[in-house]
Amino acid sequence: MNAIEIHDLHKSFEGFSLKDVSFSVPQGTVMGFVGENGAGKSSTIKCMLNLLKKEYGEILLFGKDIVEHELSIKNDIGVVFDDLHIPETLNATQLDKFMKKVFKTWDSSYYFERLRQFKVPEKKRIKELSRGMRMKLSIALALAHHPKLLILDEPTSGLDPIIRDEILDLFLAFMQDETHSILFSSHITSDLEKIADYITFIHNGEVLFSEGKDVLLYEYGIFKGSEEEISAIPEHAILRKRNGAFGVEALVQKSEINEVFSLEKPSIEDIMLFYVKGSV
Amino acid sequence: MSMVGLILKDLMTIQRQIKTQAFLLIFFIFMSFIVQQGSMLFSLVIILVTFQAITAITYDEQSGWDKYANTLPISKGDIVLSKYILSILLMIMGLIFALPIVWIILRFTPNNLAPEEFFLTFNLIVTLAICILAILLPIYIKFGSIKGKMVLIAICFIPGFLFGLINKQSSDMFFVLTNIKQFMFLAPIAGLLILWLSSLISTAIYKQKEF
Repeated sequence: MNAIEIHDLHKSFEGFSLKDVSFSVPQGTVMGFVGENGAGKSSTIKCMLNLLKKEYGEILLFGKDIVEHELSIKNDIGVVFDDLHIPETLNATQLDKFMKKVFKTWDSSYYFERLRQFKVPEKKRIKELSRGMRMKLSIALALAHHPKLLILDEPTSGLDPIIRDEILDLFLAFMQDETHSILFSSHITSDLEKIADYITFIHNGEVLFSEGKDVLLYEYGIFKGSEEEISAIPEHAILRKRNGAFGVEALVQKSEINEVFSLEKPSIEDIMLFYVKGSV
Repeated sequence: MSMVGLILKDLMTIQRQIKTQAFLLIFFIFMSFIVQQGSMLFSLVIILVTFQAITAITYDEQSGWDKYANTLPISKGDIVLSKYILSILLMIMGLIFALPIVWIILRFTPNNLAPEEFFLTFNLIVTLAICILAILLPIYIKFGSIKGKMVLIAICFIPGFLFGLINKQSSDMFFVLTNIKQFMFLAPIAGLLILWLSSLISTAIYKQKEF
Protein backbone atom coordinates (compact mmCIF):
# COMPACT_ATOMS: atom_id res chain seq x y z
CA MET A 1 0.00 0.00 0.00
CA ASN A 2 1.10 3.55 -0.68
CA ALA A 3 1.01 6.14 2.09
CA ILE A 4 0.88 8.88 -0.57
CA GLU A 5 -0.20 8.67 -4.19
CA ILE A 6 -0.32 11.71 -6.43
CA HIS A 7 -1.53 11.47 -10.01
CA ASP A 8 -1.35 14.32 -12.54
CA LEU A 9 -1.65 17.10 -9.98
CA HIS A 10 -2.09 20.48 -11.64
CA LYS A 11 -2.26 23.88 -10.01
CA SER A 12 -1.57 27.29 -11.59
CA PHE A 13 -0.24 30.40 -9.90
CA GLU A 14 0.82 33.72 -11.32
CA GLY A 15 3.96 32.95 -13.33
CA PHE A 16 4.27 29.37 -12.10
CA SER A 17 2.38 26.10 -12.20
CA LEU A 18 2.58 22.54 -10.99
CA LYS A 19 2.39 20.46 -14.14
CA ASP A 20 0.96 16.97 -13.87
CA VAL A 21 2.93 16.11 -10.76
CA SER A 22 2.84 12.35 -10.09
CA PHE A 23 4.70 10.23 -7.55
CA SER A 24 3.97 7.84 -4.72
CA VAL A 25 5.42 7.06 -1.31
CA PRO A 26 5.19 3.36 -0.38
CA GLN A 27 4.20 2.66 3.22
CA GLY A 28 7.21 2.09 5.46
CA THR A 29 9.56 4.29 3.45
CA VAL A 30 11.06 7.78 3.52
CA MET A 31 10.64 9.86 0.39
CA GLY A 32 13.05 12.75 -0.07
CA PHE A 33 11.39 15.55 -2.02
CA VAL A 34 14.06 17.74 -3.54
CA GLY A 35 14.25 20.75 -5.79
CA GLU A 36 15.61 24.29 -5.68
CA ASN A 37 13.72 27.13 -3.99
CA GLY A 38 10.53 27.86 -5.90
CA ALA A 39 10.54 24.52 -7.75
CA GLY A 40 7.11 23.59 -6.39
CA LYS A 41 7.89 21.48 -3.29
CA SER A 42 5.84 23.53 -0.84
CA SER A 43 2.99 24.03 -3.31
CA THR A 44 2.77 20.27 -3.86
CA ILE A 45 2.74 19.67 -0.10
CA LYS A 46 0.08 22.34 0.39
CA CYS A 47 -2.09 20.67 -2.26
CA MET A 48 -1.56 17.34 -0.48
CA LEU A 49 -2.87 18.89 2.74
CA ASN A 50 -5.72 20.67 0.93
CA LEU A 51 -4.29 24.02 2.02
CA LEU A 52 -4.26 24.86 -1.68
CA LYS A 53 -7.07 23.72 -3.93
CA LYS A 54 -5.86 21.59 -6.83
CA GLU A 55 -7.19 22.31 -10.30
CA TYR A 56 -7.16 18.70 -11.35
CA GLY A 57 -5.42 15.45 -10.55
CA GLU A 58 -5.80 12.96 -7.75
CA ILE A 59 -4.22 13.00 -4.29
CA LEU A 60 -4.63 9.90 -2.15
CA LEU A 61 -3.29 9.55 1.39
CA PHE A 62 -3.59 6.03 2.86
CA GLY A 63 -5.57 5.22 -0.31
CA LYS A 64 -8.24 7.86 0.47
CA ASP A 65 -8.95 11.10 -1.37
CA ILE A 66 -7.69 14.06 0.70
CA VAL A 67 -10.59 16.37 -0.19
CA GLU A 68 -13.30 13.79 0.58
CA HIS A 69 -11.73 12.33 3.72
CA GLU A 70 -9.82 15.37 4.93
CA LEU A 71 -10.46 15.14 8.68
CA SER A 72 -10.01 11.38 9.07
CA ILE A 73 -6.74 11.54 7.09
CA LYS A 74 -5.49 14.48 9.16
CA ASN A 75 -5.94 12.41 12.32
CA ASP A 76 -3.14 10.16 11.10
CA ILE A 77 -0.61 12.68 9.83
CA GLY A 78 1.90 14.96 11.49
CA VAL A 79 3.07 18.07 9.66
CA VAL A 80 6.20 20.16 10.20
CA PHE A 81 6.74 23.37 8.24
CA ASP A 82 9.93 25.41 8.03
CA ASP A 83 8.64 27.55 10.89
CA LEU A 84 6.26 27.18 13.78
CA HIS A 85 2.98 28.79 12.70
CA ILE A 86 1.55 29.21 16.18
CA PRO A 87 0.81 32.50 18.03
CA GLU A 88 4.01 33.54 19.76
CA THR A 89 2.39 34.30 23.10
CA LEU A 90 1.72 30.59 23.71
CA ASN A 91 4.10 28.14 25.36
CA ALA A 92 4.69 24.38 25.03
CA THR A 93 2.54 23.50 28.05
CA GLN A 94 -0.40 25.51 26.74
CA LEU A 95 -0.06 23.77 23.38
CA ASP A 96 -0.37 20.42 25.16
CA LYS A 97 -3.74 21.56 26.56
CA PHE A 98 -4.88 22.55 23.06
CA MET A 99 -3.67 19.39 21.34
CA LYS A 100 -5.39 17.17 23.94
CA LYS A 101 -8.69 18.58 22.71
CA VAL A 102 -7.78 18.16 19.04
CA PHE A 103 -6.42 14.59 18.93
CA LYS A 104 -8.06 11.66 20.69
CA THR A 105 -4.71 9.88 20.53
CA TRP A 106 -2.66 12.78 21.97
CA ASP A 107 0.04 11.40 24.26
CA SER A 108 1.03 14.08 26.77
CA SER A 109 3.72 11.99 28.46
CA TYR A 110 5.38 11.24 25.09
CA TYR A 111 5.17 14.97 24.21
CA PHE A 112 6.82 16.14 27.43
CA GLU A 113 9.42 13.38 27.11
CA ARG A 114 10.39 14.75 23.67
CA LEU A 115 10.50 18.29 25.04
CA ARG A 116 12.84 17.18 27.81
CA GLN A 117 14.95 15.16 25.35
CA PHE A 118 15.27 18.25 23.14
CA LYS A 119 15.68 20.57 26.14
CA VAL A 120 12.77 22.72 24.96
CA PRO A 121 11.58 24.89 27.88
CA GLU A 122 7.99 23.98 28.73
CA LYS A 123 6.89 27.36 30.06
CA LYS A 124 8.80 29.75 27.82
CA ARG A 125 6.73 31.62 25.25
CA ILE A 126 7.37 30.69 21.59
CA LYS A 127 8.51 34.29 21.07
CA GLU A 128 11.49 33.66 23.36
CA LEU A 129 12.59 30.37 21.74
CA SER A 130 15.49 30.13 19.27
CA ARG A 131 14.84 28.87 15.75
CA GLY A 132 16.25 25.44 16.62
CA MET A 133 14.02 25.19 19.71
CA ARG A 134 10.95 26.20 17.70
CA MET A 135 11.64 23.47 15.15
CA LYS A 136 12.13 20.89 17.88
CA LEU A 137 8.84 21.96 19.47
CA SER A 138 7.19 21.73 16.07
CA ILE A 139 8.49 18.16 15.65
CA ALA A 140 7.36 17.13 19.16
CA LEU A 141 3.90 18.53 18.30
CA ALA A 142 3.83 16.56 15.04
CA LEU A 143 4.79 13.27 16.72
CA ALA A 144 2.83 13.19 19.97
CA HIS A 145 -0.47 11.92 18.53
CA HIS A 146 1.46 8.96 17.04
CA PRO A 147 0.79 9.65 13.36
CA LYS A 148 1.36 7.08 10.61
CA LEU A 149 2.70 9.62 8.14
CA LEU A 150 4.97 12.62 8.66
CA ILE A 151 4.90 15.40 6.09
CA LEU A 152 7.95 17.59 6.55
CA ASP A 153 8.42 20.78 4.57
CA GLU A 154 12.03 21.93 4.97
CA PRO A 155 12.16 21.01 8.67
CA THR A 156 15.95 21.30 8.89
CA SER A 157 16.56 24.45 6.86
CA GLY A 158 18.47 27.12 8.73
CA LEU A 159 19.50 24.74 11.55
CA ASP A 160 23.04 23.91 12.58
CA PRO A 161 24.43 20.42 11.74
CA ILE A 162 24.23 19.17 15.34
CA ILE A 163 20.53 19.99 15.74
CA ARG A 164 19.89 18.62 12.24
CA ASP A 165 21.53 15.35 13.19
CA GLU A 166 19.43 15.07 16.39
CA ILE A 167 16.28 15.70 14.39
CA LEU A 168 17.21 13.13 11.74
CA ASP A 169 17.79 10.55 14.49
CA LEU A 170 14.29 11.18 15.76
CA PHE A 171 12.86 10.60 12.28
CA LEU A 172 14.85 7.37 12.01
CA ALA A 173 13.40 6.26 15.36
CA PHE A 174 9.91 7.05 14.01
CA MET A 175 10.64 4.79 11.03
CA GLN A 176 11.29 1.78 13.29
CA ASP A 177 7.58 1.03 12.93
CA GLU A 178 7.10 -0.55 9.49
CA THR A 179 3.71 1.08 8.98
CA HIS A 180 5.17 4.57 9.30
CA SER A 181 6.16 6.74 6.32
CA ILE A 182 7.76 10.15 5.79
CA LEU A 183 7.68 12.69 3.01
CA PHE A 184 10.69 14.91 3.60
CA SER A 185 11.06 18.03 1.50
CA SER A 186 14.45 19.67 1.61
CA HIS A 187 17.12 21.28 -0.46
CA ILE A 188 19.77 20.03 1.98
CA THR A 189 20.49 16.88 0.00
CA SER A 190 22.97 15.50 2.55
CA ASP A 191 20.08 15.11 5.05
CA LEU A 192 18.16 13.10 2.49
CA GLU A 193 21.15 10.91 1.71
CA LYS A 194 21.12 9.94 5.40
CA ILE A 195 17.49 8.93 5.73
CA ALA A 196 15.63 8.74 2.40
CA ASP A 197 14.73 5.48 0.62
CA TYR A 198 13.40 7.25 -2.47
CA ILE A 199 14.08 10.62 -4.05
CA THR A 200 11.57 12.65 -6.03
CA PHE A 201 13.07 15.60 -7.85
CA ILE A 202 10.88 18.52 -8.87
CA HIS A 203 12.03 21.32 -11.15
CA ASN A 204 9.92 24.21 -12.49
CA GLY A 205 6.76 22.51 -11.25
CA GLU A 206 7.53 19.21 -13.01
CA VAL A 207 8.72 15.95 -11.53
CA LEU A 208 11.92 15.04 -13.36
CA PHE A 209 12.46 11.71 -11.61
CA SER A 210 11.16 9.68 -8.71
CA GLU A 211 13.55 6.80 -7.99
CA GLY A 212 15.00 4.65 -5.24
CA LYS A 213 17.98 6.40 -3.61
CA ASP A 214 20.19 3.35 -4.14
CA VAL A 215 19.27 3.26 -7.83
CA LEU A 216 20.39 6.86 -8.12
CA LEU A 217 23.58 6.51 -6.11
CA TYR A 218 24.75 3.08 -7.30
CA GLU A 219 23.39 2.74 -10.81
CA TYR A 220 24.41 6.21 -11.95
CA GLY A 221 27.96 7.40 -12.41
CA ILE A 222 29.72 10.58 -13.44
CA PHE A 223 32.19 10.44 -16.30
CA LYS A 224 34.62 13.33 -16.67
CA GLY A 225 36.61 13.73 -19.85
CA SER A 226 37.04 15.53 -23.12
CA GLU A 227 34.32 15.83 -25.76
CA GLU A 228 36.19 13.15 -27.74
CA GLU A 229 36.30 10.70 -24.84
CA ILE A 230 32.61 11.17 -24.12
CA SER A 231 31.74 10.41 -27.73
CA ALA A 232 33.02 6.87 -27.06
CA ILE A 233 30.19 6.30 -24.57
CA PRO A 234 27.01 4.85 -26.12
CA GLU A 235 24.49 7.68 -26.45
CA HIS A 236 21.64 5.81 -24.76
CA ALA A 237 23.79 5.45 -21.60
CA ILE A 238 24.17 9.24 -21.21
CA LEU A 239 21.39 10.73 -19.12
CA ARG A 240 22.65 14.32 -18.96
CA LYS A 241 25.78 16.19 -20.10
CA ARG A 242 27.27 19.48 -19.01
CA ASN A 243 30.42 21.49 -19.44
CA GLY A 244 32.67 21.24 -16.41
CA ALA A 245 35.76 23.19 -15.38
CA PHE A 246 38.10 20.79 -17.19
CA GLY A 247 36.08 19.47 -20.11
CA VAL A 248 32.75 17.72 -20.30
CA GLU A 249 30.94 15.82 -17.56
CA ALA A 250 28.24 13.25 -18.17
CA LEU A 251 25.78 11.50 -15.90
CA VAL A 252 25.66 7.95 -17.17
CA GLN A 253 23.87 4.70 -16.46
CA LYS A 254 26.59 2.40 -15.10
CA SER A 255 25.11 -0.85 -16.41
CA GLU A 256 25.06 0.45 -19.98
CA ILE A 257 28.75 1.24 -20.34
CA ASN A 258 31.97 -0.69 -20.40
CA GLU A 259 33.87 -1.05 -17.13
CA VAL A 260 36.98 0.51 -18.67
CA PHE A 261 35.43 3.93 -18.23
CA SER A 262 36.32 5.17 -14.78
CA LEU A 263 33.31 6.69 -13.13
CA GLU A 264 32.85 8.81 -10.03
CA LYS A 265 30.06 8.08 -7.56
CA PRO A 266 27.45 10.85 -7.75
CA SER A 267 25.74 12.54 -4.81
CA ILE A 268 22.08 13.55 -4.96
CA GLU A 269 23.28 17.12 -5.33
CA ASP A 270 25.36 16.15 -8.39
CA ILE A 271 22.37 14.43 -9.98
CA MET A 272 20.19 17.49 -9.25
CA LEU A 273 22.75 19.78 -10.88
CA PHE A 274 22.97 17.55 -13.96
CA TYR A 275 19.20 17.62 -14.37
CA VAL A 276 18.91 21.39 -13.84
CA LYS A 277 22.03 22.67 -15.60
CA GLY A 278 22.86 19.87 -17.99
CA SER A 279 21.45 18.97 -21.38
CA VAL A 280 20.30 15.68 -22.87
CA MET B 1 -13.87 18.82 21.37
CA SER B 2 -11.70 20.63 18.87
CA MET B 3 -14.02 23.65 19.24
CA VAL B 4 -13.24 23.74 22.98
CA GLY B 5 -9.55 23.43 22.09
CA LEU B 6 -9.70 26.36 19.67
CA ILE B 7 -11.45 28.63 22.19
CA LEU B 8 -9.02 27.56 24.90
CA LYS B 9 -6.09 28.33 22.60
CA ASP B 10 -7.48 31.80 21.84
CA LEU B 11 -8.07 32.54 25.52
CA MET B 12 -4.50 31.48 26.31
CA THR B 13 -3.20 33.59 23.39
CA ILE B 14 -4.91 36.79 24.56
CA GLN B 15 -4.51 36.09 28.30
CA ARG B 16 -1.56 38.46 28.64
CA GLN B 17 -3.32 41.17 26.64
CA ILE B 18 -6.38 40.89 28.90
CA LYS B 19 -4.18 41.19 31.98
CA THR B 20 -2.60 44.36 30.57
CA GLN B 21 -6.01 45.82 29.90
CA ALA B 22 -7.15 45.02 33.41
CA PHE B 23 -5.02 47.99 34.53
CA LEU B 24 -6.85 50.16 32.05
CA LEU B 25 -10.14 48.92 33.47
CA ILE B 26 -9.13 49.77 37.03
CA PHE B 27 -8.48 53.31 35.83
CA PHE B 28 -11.89 53.42 34.14
CA ILE B 29 -13.62 52.10 37.26
CA PHE B 30 -11.96 54.83 39.30
CA MET B 31 -13.02 57.44 36.74
CA SER B 32 -16.57 56.11 36.66
CA PHE B 33 -16.87 56.51 40.42
CA ILE B 34 -15.64 60.09 40.17
CA VAL B 35 -17.96 61.12 37.36
CA GLN B 36 -20.66 58.77 38.62
CA GLN B 37 -21.23 57.28 35.20
CA GLY B 38 -22.05 53.59 35.40
CA SER B 39 -23.09 53.27 31.78
CA MET B 40 -19.84 54.75 30.51
CA LEU B 41 -17.89 52.07 32.36
CA PHE B 42 -20.30 49.48 31.11
CA SER B 43 -19.81 50.42 27.43
CA LEU B 44 -16.05 50.51 27.81
CA VAL B 45 -15.84 47.09 29.43
CA ILE B 46 -18.10 45.46 26.84
CA ILE B 47 -16.28 47.00 23.87
CA LEU B 48 -12.80 46.34 25.31
CA VAL B 49 -13.45 42.71 26.21
CA THR B 50 -15.49 41.70 23.18
CA PHE B 51 -12.93 43.02 20.75
CA GLN B 52 -10.27 40.77 22.17
CA ALA B 53 -11.65 38.27 19.63
CA ILE B 54 -10.20 40.60 16.98
CA THR B 55 -6.88 40.59 18.85
CA ALA B 56 -6.93 36.78 18.69
CA ILE B 57 -7.44 36.94 14.90
CA THR B 58 -4.53 39.38 14.60
CA TYR B 59 -2.21 37.04 16.56
CA ASP B 60 -3.31 34.15 14.32
CA GLU B 61 -2.59 36.17 11.21
CA GLN B 62 0.86 37.27 12.40
CA SER B 63 1.92 33.68 13.08
CA GLY B 64 0.31 32.08 10.00
CA TRP B 65 -1.85 30.00 12.36
CA ASP B 66 -4.44 29.10 9.71
CA LYS B 67 -1.79 27.27 7.69
CA TYR B 68 -1.03 25.12 10.73
CA ALA B 69 -4.60 24.74 12.01
CA ASN B 70 -5.69 23.39 8.64
CA THR B 71 -3.19 20.53 8.89
CA LEU B 72 -5.01 19.36 12.05
CA PRO B 73 -8.25 17.37 12.10
CA ILE B 74 -10.36 20.49 12.64
CA SER B 75 -13.09 21.53 10.22
CA LYS B 76 -12.96 24.97 8.62
CA GLY B 77 -16.45 25.65 9.99
CA ASP B 78 -15.21 25.03 13.55
CA ILE B 79 -12.23 27.35 13.06
CA VAL B 80 -14.54 30.21 12.04
CA LEU B 81 -17.30 29.48 14.54
CA SER B 82 -14.79 29.36 17.39
CA LYS B 83 -14.06 33.07 16.88
CA TYR B 84 -17.77 33.92 17.14
CA ILE B 85 -18.24 31.81 20.25
CA LEU B 86 -15.09 33.35 21.71
CA SER B 87 -16.45 36.87 21.24
CA ILE B 88 -19.79 35.99 22.86
CA LEU B 89 -17.96 34.28 25.74
CA LEU B 90 -15.77 37.34 26.21
CA MET B 91 -18.85 39.54 26.21
CA ILE B 92 -20.47 37.40 28.90
CA MET B 93 -17.25 37.57 30.92
CA GLY B 94 -17.27 41.35 30.50
CA LEU B 95 -20.89 41.52 31.69
CA ILE B 96 -20.16 39.38 34.73
CA PHE B 97 -17.25 41.65 35.57
CA ALA B 98 -18.94 44.98 34.88
CA LEU B 99 -22.50 44.54 36.11
CA PRO B 100 -21.75 44.36 39.88
CA ILE B 101 -19.52 47.43 39.66
CA VAL B 102 -22.08 49.33 37.60
CA TRP B 103 -24.75 48.31 40.11
CA ILE B 104 -22.62 49.66 42.97
CA ILE B 105 -22.08 52.94 41.13
CA LEU B 106 -25.80 53.29 40.42
CA ARG B 107 -26.79 52.24 43.92
CA PHE B 108 -24.41 54.34 45.98
CA THR B 109 -24.03 57.50 43.96
CA PRO B 110 -26.74 60.06 43.44
CA ASN B 111 -27.42 59.65 39.73
CA ASN B 112 -30.21 60.35 37.40
CA LEU B 113 -30.38 57.00 35.53
CA ALA B 114 -33.63 55.15 36.14
CA PRO B 115 -33.49 51.32 36.07
CA GLU B 116 -35.48 51.10 32.81
CA GLU B 117 -33.18 53.62 31.20
CA PHE B 118 -30.19 51.59 32.30
CA PHE B 119 -31.83 48.51 30.80
CA LEU B 120 -32.21 50.44 27.55
CA THR B 121 -28.56 51.48 27.57
CA PHE B 122 -27.54 47.91 28.42
CA ASN B 123 -29.48 46.53 25.44
CA LEU B 124 -28.19 49.20 23.14
CA ILE B 125 -24.52 48.66 24.03
CA VAL B 126 -24.70 44.87 23.84
CA THR B 127 -26.52 45.00 20.50
CA LEU B 128 -24.10 47.56 19.12
CA ALA B 129 -21.11 45.41 20.12
CA ILE B 130 -22.69 42.32 18.53
CA CYS B 131 -23.50 44.20 15.30
CA ILE B 132 -19.98 45.63 15.02
CA LEU B 133 -18.57 42.12 15.47
CA ALA B 134 -20.98 40.79 12.85
CA ILE B 135 -19.52 43.29 10.38
CA LEU B 136 -15.89 43.09 11.47
CA LEU B 137 -15.35 39.33 11.71
CA PRO B 138 -16.11 38.51 8.04
CA ILE B 139 -13.96 41.50 6.97
CA TYR B 140 -11.04 40.37 9.15
CA ILE B 141 -11.41 36.80 7.88
CA LYS B 142 -11.58 37.88 4.24
CA PHE B 143 -9.05 40.71 4.12
CA GLY B 144 -6.88 40.34 7.23
CA SER B 145 -6.17 42.74 10.05
CA ILE B 146 -4.74 45.72 8.14
CA LYS B 147 -7.83 46.30 6.02
CA GLY B 148 -9.94 45.20 8.97
CA LYS B 149 -8.51 48.05 11.03
CA MET B 150 -9.46 50.55 8.33
CA VAL B 151 -13.05 49.33 8.47
CA LEU B 152 -12.95 49.51 12.27
CA ILE B 153 -11.96 53.17 12.08
CA ALA B 154 -14.75 53.79 9.55
CA ILE B 155 -17.23 52.15 11.90
CA CYS B 156 -16.12 54.47 14.69
CA PHE B 157 -17.13 57.43 12.54
CA ILE B 158 -20.56 56.06 11.69
CA PRO B 159 -22.14 56.76 15.13
CA GLY B 160 -20.95 60.37 14.90
CA PHE B 161 -22.36 60.64 11.40
CA LEU B 162 -25.70 59.18 12.51
CA PHE B 163 -25.79 61.51 15.48
CA GLY B 164 -25.37 64.43 13.08
CA LEU B 165 -28.27 63.19 10.99
CA ILE B 166 -30.46 62.75 14.07
CA ASN B 167 -29.70 66.28 15.18
CA LYS B 168 -30.75 67.69 11.81
CA GLN B 169 -34.09 65.95 11.81
CA SER B 170 -34.52 65.93 15.56
CA SER B 171 -38.31 66.21 15.75
CA ASP B 172 -38.95 63.21 13.48
CA MET B 173 -36.14 61.18 15.02
CA PHE B 174 -37.38 61.80 18.52
CA PHE B 175 -40.70 60.27 17.52
CA VAL B 176 -39.00 57.26 15.90
CA LEU B 177 -36.71 56.70 18.85
CA THR B 178 -39.60 56.77 21.34
CA ASN B 179 -41.27 54.07 19.31
CA ILE B 180 -38.11 51.99 18.99
CA LYS B 181 -37.66 52.18 22.76
CA GLN B 182 -40.63 49.86 23.26
CA PHE B 183 -38.95 47.14 21.22
CA MET B 184 -35.50 47.64 22.66
CA PHE B 185 -35.63 44.41 24.70
CA LEU B 186 -35.66 42.54 21.38
CA ALA B 187 -32.51 44.25 20.15
CA PRO B 188 -29.92 41.76 21.51
CA ILE B 189 -31.90 38.87 19.98
CA ALA B 190 -31.91 40.64 16.61
CA GLY B 191 -28.18 41.26 17.13
CA LEU B 192 -27.51 37.57 17.73
CA LEU B 193 -29.48 36.71 14.58
CA ILE B 194 -27.28 39.10 12.60
CA LEU B 195 -24.19 37.55 14.20
CA TRP B 196 -25.38 34.07 13.19
CA LEU B 197 -25.87 35.25 9.57
CA SER B 198 -22.42 36.82 9.72
CA SER B 199 -20.93 33.49 10.85
CA LEU B 200 -22.47 31.78 7.82
CA ILE B 201 -20.91 34.38 5.53
CA SER B 202 -17.54 34.08 7.27
CA THR B 203 -17.56 30.28 6.97
CA ALA B 204 -18.33 30.52 3.25
CA ILE B 205 -15.45 33.02 2.85
CA TYR B 206 -13.05 30.85 4.87
CA LYS B 207 -13.85 27.71 2.88
CA GLN B 208 -12.75 29.52 -0.28
CA LYS B 209 -9.43 30.60 1.20
CA GLU B 210 -6.07 29.04 0.44
CA PHE B 211 -3.21 28.99 2.92
